[in-house]
Amino acid sequence: MRVARVRAMLVLLATTSSAHATDWELSLDARAVESDGRQSFLDRGQGKLRYDDSDDGLHLGRFRAAVNQPLGEVFAAHVEASSWGDEDKNPIDLTEAYLEYRPYPRAGLRSRVRLGAFYPPMSLENRAVGWETPYTITPSAISSWIGEEIRTIGLEGQVDWLGTRTGHVFDLQLTGALFGWNDPAGTMIAQHGFAFSDRQTTLFGRAGEPRSDQFAKNELFHEIDNRVGYYVGAQGRYLDRLVLNGLHYDNRADPMAYKASIRDFAWETKFDALALRAETGNGWTVIAQWLSGATYIAPGGHWLEWEFESRSALLAKRHGPHMLAARYDDFDVQSDFGGEDGHAVTVCYSFEQDERWRFALEWIRVTSDVDARQFLPMPEPPLATETKVELSVRYTLKGTL
Amino acid sequence: MPRTAPKVLSSKLTATCLLQLLLCATVPAASAASLAIHVQKKDGKPLVGAVLTVAAESPRLPPAAPARAVVDQVDLAFVPDVIVIPVGSTISFPNSDAVSHQVYSFSSARRFQLPLYRGKPYPPVTFDQPGVVTLGCNIHDNMLAYVVVTDAPFFGRTDAKGEWVAPNLPNGSYRVTVWHPLLNDSGLSVARVVQIDGAERTELPMRLARSLRPAPITGRPHSWDY
Repeated sequence: MRVARVRAMLVLLATTSSAHATDWELSLDARAVESDGRQSFLDRGQGKLRYDDSDDGLHLGRFRAAVNQPLGEVFAAHVEASSWGDEDKNPIDLTEAYLEYRPYPRAGLRSRVRLGAFYPPMSLENRAVGWETPYTITPSAISSWIGEEIRTIGLEGQVDWLGTRTGHVFDLQLTGALFGWNDPAGTMIAQHGFAFSDRQTTLFGRAGEPRSDQFAKNELFHEIDNRVGYYVGAQGRYLDRLVLNGLHYDNRADPMAYKASIRDFAWETKFDALALRAETGNGWTVIAQWLSGATYIAPGGHWLEWEFESRSALLAKRHGPHMLAARYDDFDVQSDFGGEDGHAVTVCYSFEQDERWRFALEWIRVTSDVDARQFLPMPEPPLATETKVELSVRYTLKGTL
Repeated sequence: MPRTAPKVLSSKLTATCLLQLLLCATVPAASAASLAIHVQKKDGKPLVGAVLTVAAESPRLPPAAPARAVVDQVDLAFVPDVIVIPVGSTISFPNSDAVSHQVYSFSSARRFQLPLYRGKPYPPVTFDQPGVVTLGCNIHDNMLAYVVVTDAPFFGRTDAKGEWVAPNLPNGSYRVTVWHPLLNDSGLSVARVVQIDGAERTELPMRLARSLRPAPITGRPHSWDY
């Protein structure tokens, strides 16, 4: 009897521990690149692409390691680490790390809380794991900027009304967050405007290389003024066909504040973003995105402002493991020191053979008129057309410990 | 749902039909007849996989005998994703995936939660009230299934031609109800009253007055969020 009871307890223990086992994922994304891009924004230049004309050849696009660990019944920890094959401070570093609380839905309502570092819920394009877009290799100008400069380091709460689970055709979601440690957000858009890159800035790394010792060290995740930022968002869904997402973001930074150790100001950055995604049952997807905002600093009480705006439209057709996507981006930045204006066309074919192998071939052409090109140490004409062809081969392994 | 009725379900249905035969044999009836129900969508095409229940208005008949059913979790989906069971039946929810699931229902007909698990750690769940129970997984938002719990003596699902035949109905008056997850008010259903009066086979054509919702999108990789 006692033996049976002990055995039953052991079985129960084993089951419980296996249910709380760690899910892990590793992926390696290798690239072959042919580019005529100007010196990249990631390498002290004003080129719009991740890989410029000195980068033809093979590269490590991304090495990614992710872990999801359930903690008890309704908590889970999620950690994302990446290496981008460039000369960042740390060879591998975190892009996201957070604790999530997911209580059971009750009476058609579900709430969720995240604490840590993560992306605000705004990109309907970057829907794949690791905050990647499955449609192209290079995300839109909007998502590229978010990946470069924005991270919520704080607390986010979400409430979902699960209408489709209760006989309705709509679901609704409201999100609110309080955060800090993102006061330098705005530095990059002021420095080089919009860009097209799937490289996400890591939590303890740098956004590219500093342009000069006089300016920022490009470490974006610091608290400078001890003021709390916020965002509020809403999402509506019609069945699984249509998603409309809106977000208002304000880091409430004090533009007079300065942190000597990173040689950067607190950039008061606020923006509004809208995104719409429509999907059909036969594999068509349309995604439209819009983002408009401004960032300010006030060195010595002298206010400086940069206004930025971008729009993009994507059309994709999925046929089994094949997908063909085309996207148009339009972007501009205006400030007292000049600005930029440009557009881009991206076409990508991808083949997701199974859960392990994915192949993608992308062509992107960015045409931009950037005033800052004239003031580079080696001045360039402001107008440039940059083209890049990139092949991505990604291998993913996942399992449970 | 676009998924075709899996083998698990059809074997369950066969078992249910056998139960009905046994049940009908005990009902004192002057004669027995079959009721062939044909369900069409608004556009005239067959409605596949619709849940049909045939409740006796007079004479009163008891519900079908409780059954033991299984709803598995395979490749981040419930299998089957629609099941109809007599009131008082049990369903066990094994998880055949490598990842853990967390099954819940907040439907008034049966509220329950199965904390995070893999394999088959929990006893079956009993469904003792009629109604539609919506199942979800608190980890994988896209997982969705329906349990239709019925107190009708006869029930089944339409085949690829939109047909289902209720065999051996005693003479009397019956209420036939159609339920499908894509009916526009999925909480509601379409009903018709039919008389069985000695004819060997009664045909009951039914046609939905309203269009169905679009079926859920399939084939997107699991690595995408929804």
